[in-house]
Amino acid sequence: MLSYSFGQTALIGGLLIAITCALMSFFIVVRRLAFAGMGISHAAFGGVAIGIAAGVNPIVTAAGFCVLVAGGIGWFSRKGKLHEDTIIGILFSASMALGIVLIAAAHAYNQDLLSYLFGSILAVAWTDVLILAILTLLAVAFMLLFFKELLFFAFDEETATASGVPVRFVYYGLLVTIALTIVVSIKLVGIILVSALIVIPGATGLQLSRNYRRVIVFSILSAVISVVVGLQLSFSFNVASGATIVLVMFALFLIAVGISPRRSYMEALLSKRAKAKAQGSEVSQGEGSTLGPVDRAQPIETSLTVGDVETRVDD
Amino acid sequence: MSRPRKNHACKVGAYFDSTGEGSRVLIDIEHVFVELGGQPVLQDITFTLNDRMFLGVIGPNGAGKTTLLRVILGLVKPTSGTVCVMGMEPDELKGELHHIGYVPQSVLFDPIFPVSVYDVVMMGRICCIGRFRFAKKSDKQAVMDSIRMVGLEGLEQRLIGELSGGQQKRAFLARALCRETRILLLDEPTSGLDIPAQRQFMDLLTDLKERLGLSVVFVSHDVNVLAQHADEMVCINRSMHLHGKPGDVVGSERLQEAYRCEFDFLVGPGAHHPGIEGGH
Repeated sequence: MLSYSFGQTALIGGLLIAITCALMSFFIVVRRLAFAGMGISHAAFGGVAIGIAAGVNPIVTAAGFCVLVAGGIGWFSRKGKLHEDTIIGILFSASMALGIVLIAAAHAYNQDLLSYLFGSILAVAWTDVLILAILTLLAVAFMLLFFKELLFFAFDEETATASGVPVRFVYYGLLVTIALTIVVSIKLVGIILVSALIVIPGATGLQLSRNYRRVIVFSILSAVISVVVGLQLSFSFNVASGATIVLVMFALFLIAVGISPRRSYMEALLSKRAKAKAQGSEVSQGEGSTLGPVDRAQPIETSLTVGDVETRVDD
Repeated sequence: MSRPRKNHACKVGAYFDSTGEGSRVLIDIEHVFVELGGQPVLQDITFTLNDRMFLGVIGPNGAGKTTLLRVILGLVKPTSGTVCVMGMEPDELKGELHHIGYVPQSVLFDPIFPVSVYDVVMMGRICCIGRFRFAKKSDKQAVMDSIRMVGLEGLEQRLIGELSGGQQKRAFLARALCRETRILLLDEPTSGLDIPAQRQFMDLLTDLKERLGLSVVFVSHDVNVLAQHADEMVCINRSMHLHGKPGDVVGSERLQEAYRCEFDFLVGPGAHHPGIEGGH
């Protein structure tokens, strides 16, 4: 596959997509934005249709359209005018309907449209790789720079707001990043299946760990393996690349579900290693505390014990 | 009732100097009115929170207690009236948020959200760490100190969703305390806990308040819980019904008026309320 230029561009583009989608996937899964991702990805059909009908690069129009839809989802749900899933359902179907009407009016039911719907290994050009690289850089930068804010927002929005986290910026930033990630992934994976890339890796990671750092690492690993293996299968069997990537991703998810009951054992092993590493560099008590003039390191004498642990989620 | 217009700005000034000593009044709320969606939620609320005071805010469900906390935090803007927190209006507090700890009523998180107790408490350090920065050694130490203070040592690596309700509340308390907290705002932190867990939480809170010199605003619909621990109590049901010492508040007929029910269970024979005299 790599002896062909299209194979190289597809692989490089695919790896960039895998990293971005997997990072995004973590927040989508923990913030329960999977339906939003699905809605935005299907809305991309409307954006692609606008481009095809107007004779403009469909990726450009899809990007603008998806950002608008993402903003609409955010605005309606934050204003409390409608539930998030209701507005997603409305915008998603209206965008698809717009796309169908425009495609019919432009008589554009052709191979090009099919490649947008199902993805194609041949569709990724070097210019696409360049656009992908820039958008990947932006998306990864946003997520890394605002990681702790995103995590706090995803876990407890109200307290995050009370702690000065710019939740509106973080929320809209997340939605816009999801929209752009979806758009750049369309060529390889296709509109219909792109939402899988932003949901399955996070779900796979969550099966393998309960530590968010490891969840993200496992998400990225599963996405990278899926893209590499999926592209090879697509090339070998001449099948749409989106379908093969998603099927490999699903297979990895099933394996992760199978491994999941043994997760606590794996994590215990990893923790042991980490503890062994940390020995000697342990932080001494009371050193460097910034909690103010009161000695906060002193334990409070109460009747509390830690023996009343109730394990609600059975490992 | 006529609504007074905003009559004065907050007295801007540093409430905490380098020694940690501050002015007496930390929260000053005067004639605050709040409307949400065109409906009055709070009407003419006035009270102050002094340094190291434990203020209990009681009222029935839907009385506007949570809204009152949200007003103090700057999450809801009052329609009229003055809110001063550490000498500033709440939306000017950005640089002082590390002095305020907040324990929300309920955190509706996914039980499998992959964060440990340590990670959750570290979230409380967000205003100390600063933007585009990673947690430093001192932040990690502060987190461990807070976990130890609330008695959760040994559980710091447990998934937050795996803890019992009482332990989760203590983890959220640790999150509120792992900054340079001076004002602690708690919204029904004992709701959903059984009586022993409520008692444990209140004992812990009282000890922490004394040890750390905290000023506490504790919102609850449960008069019993607060009557035993608060220095002063405010009873609201959209408007102010009572403000005074727990003994005065609990003994007042206006409390029953605010709740629209009688408190036989509270002041009946055999009930014991330390610090409450003549509570009948």
